[in-house]
Amino acid sequence: MSPVLLDVNGLTTRFATRAGSLNAVEDVSFTVAEGEIVGLVGESGSGKSVTGFSILGLIDPPGRIVAGSVKLNGRELVGLSHAALRSMRGREIAMVFQDPSATLNPVLTIETQMRLAIAAHESLGDAAARARCIEVLGAVGIPDAARRIEAYPHQFSGGMRQRVAIAIALLNRPKLIICDEPTTALDVSIQAQILTEMKSLAARLGTAMIWISHDLATVSSVASRILVMYAGRLIEAGPIAEVLRQPRHPYTRGLLGSLPGIARPGQDLVQIPGAMPSLIDLPQGCAFQPRCGFADALCATMPALHSEGARSFRCHHPLAAETAP
Amino acid sequence: MTTAQPAMLVEVAAVSKRFTPQLSLGDRLAALLGSPVETRTVHAVDRVSFGLEQGEVLGLVGESGCGKSTLGRVIAGIHPPSEGRASIAGETVMGDGRTPLKRTTRIQMVFQDPFASLDPRVRIGETISEGPLAHGLVSRADAPAYVARWLTAVGLPVEAAERFPHQFSGGQRQRVAIARALAMQPDVLVCDEPVASLDVSIQAQIINLFLKLRRELGLTMLFISHDLGVVRHLCDRVAIMYLGRIVEIGPAAEIFAAPRHPYTRALLDSVPKLVTGSDELVTFKPIQGELPSPLSPPPGCHFHQRCPRAEARCRSDAPQLAGGADDGTGHRVSCHFPLAGEA
Repeated sequence: MSPVLLDVNGLTTRFATRAGSLNAVEDVSFTVAEGEIVGLVGESGSGKSVTGFSILGLIDPPGRIVAGSVKLNGRELVGLSHAALRSMRGREIAMVFQDPSATLNPVLTIETQMRLAIAAHESLGDAAARARCIEVLGAVGIPDAARRIEAYPHQFSGGMRQRVAIAIALLNRPKLIICDEPTTALDVSIQAQILTEMKSLAARLGTAMIWISHDLATVSSVASRILVMYAGRLIEAGPIAEVLRQPRHPYTRGLLGSLPGIARPGQDLVQIPGAMPSLIDLPQGCAFQPRCGFADALCATMPALHSEGARSFRCHHPLAAETAP
Repeated sequence: MTTAQPAMLVEVAAVSKRFTPQLSLGDRLAALLGSPVETRTVHAVDRVSFGLEQGEVLGLVGESGCGKSTLGRVIAGIHPPSEGRASIAGETVMGDGRTPLKRTTRIQMVFQDPFASLDPRVRIGETISEGPLAHGLVSRADAPAYVARWLTAVGLPVEAAERFPHQFSGGQRQRVAIARALAMQPDVLVCDEPVASLDVSIQAQIINLFLKLRRELGLTMLFISHDLGVVRHLCDRVAIMYLGRIVEIGPAAEIFAAPRHPYTRALLDSVPKLVTGSDELVTFKPIQGELPSPLSPPPGCHFHQRCPRAEARCRSDAPQLAGGADDGTGHRVSCHFPLAGEA
């Protein structure tokens, strides 16, 4: 096992709203080893993106990290000054967002934007900086990078724009990249290209990744470990193939049953009834309880995260280890 | 409806749809004076023909910009076709005169985004009853009971009629949109990515709803989606579109098991699969390059620039959708060098 790169412990992020405190992330703990790709999975409102933002210190009022710690190589990131966080972002941890048209500046050329990202962390001569930009653009699969670097974002297709965003994330050779749904907005054929390239880049450069997505199949094709979130809490974690083969939490099993790719065509899918509760008004105890077929009186108390070997789950009535979905 | 005659319920005959933006005044003057003004025409749909049988669900699959939504809208009578004709039981869906009017209520549409397709200021009950009242399908006195019937059919409580769209989640709103379309008692439903914007667990609920409605109402559906898993689950037949043309059409089971067009094969290979074996190595065989611009589609086969099997002929001759008659399944492919069709 590689040494631990990122250690998230008891992370709790809340947003103050007029209706009350919105508990976006509650008591989330996990680690990422050097070079490891971890998938962070959940539906809308599960807190997966806010977890990513919290690690980078990108939570602005009315949001606040109210408890917990985030350690990168042993160094505490929660509570760092703005200046210290700025110098960390991009250099040690970079982020790739879902929508590349919203992350790139439309009035600057790709070269200018990339050079700004380099200049934020080191002073490099003109020629050297340009050469690094072209090299990284080439590495993420942009053909004719030396010429394309002078283009503006609108001259690129969506897939190419996302490659540029990935190139910018790679520029300062960070140890960890947080990818927030980086292929969700792309067509499947382009998604397949980018997944292939990201995987080989991560392996070659030894970059660790947190891959945030709602799509279990995409995550299963890149990550080695999976974290499943529901209503702000981590409810199951473990080696991805094991978790998908034998989920222990009823919600994970429900998610798998909801996938049309697994069931026989034309048959009713095993659906989870209802919808995720509001994060402002969570049910007592386990948040999944109102939708869960196994729930009983015990579930009105919050189950602890229970560990069994490499796996952990937060459930009073876990599925037996041998039931297949 | 009698199912004796084998005729198709919906007939799409050589439908093309082009979009040409209006020229500005300056450009029009310049054109009048004889200077060459570039008109940028998007060829969204290019001579597409197919049919839909009574009670059948046809999946229309393709990536962004392939023209699948435009084709769906032409069939539903939202856009007039530039050429060709879409008809339902012999009746033209939309006239091609100067003021094309949708002529039939027998075809209805469900859109992708239930946040945009419902009027936020109109109560759900009114949203559902507006069309049926206007077309005399129900009297004003019977409207509440009629609305209640359709709300129940899509799995919503009857009280929902009194509420507004913002009081519902995305999945529930999509149910309202489906109830609105069904309340017109259509023979055919065109669904444009109806589950694409929903979360996985909610998506499963809506897919199950479609399966139930199909069983109970015998609906004929054109199901437009980019999600091959959903299409495989719901559809009897599948049509694959690429840059305005149908490149392959046939029974879903056959197309997913043994695609014959290189594009279909590549598309299927691009879909991430759930990996549950710990030592499985995940490899994709991504399609090279990107979709060419529909402003200037390449000559010949539209896919030839990205196709591993392309030869000189593919660059000049556009292949026709052929085959099908011989094996009796109606599996047709538009390719000069189709794959053998083994799994």
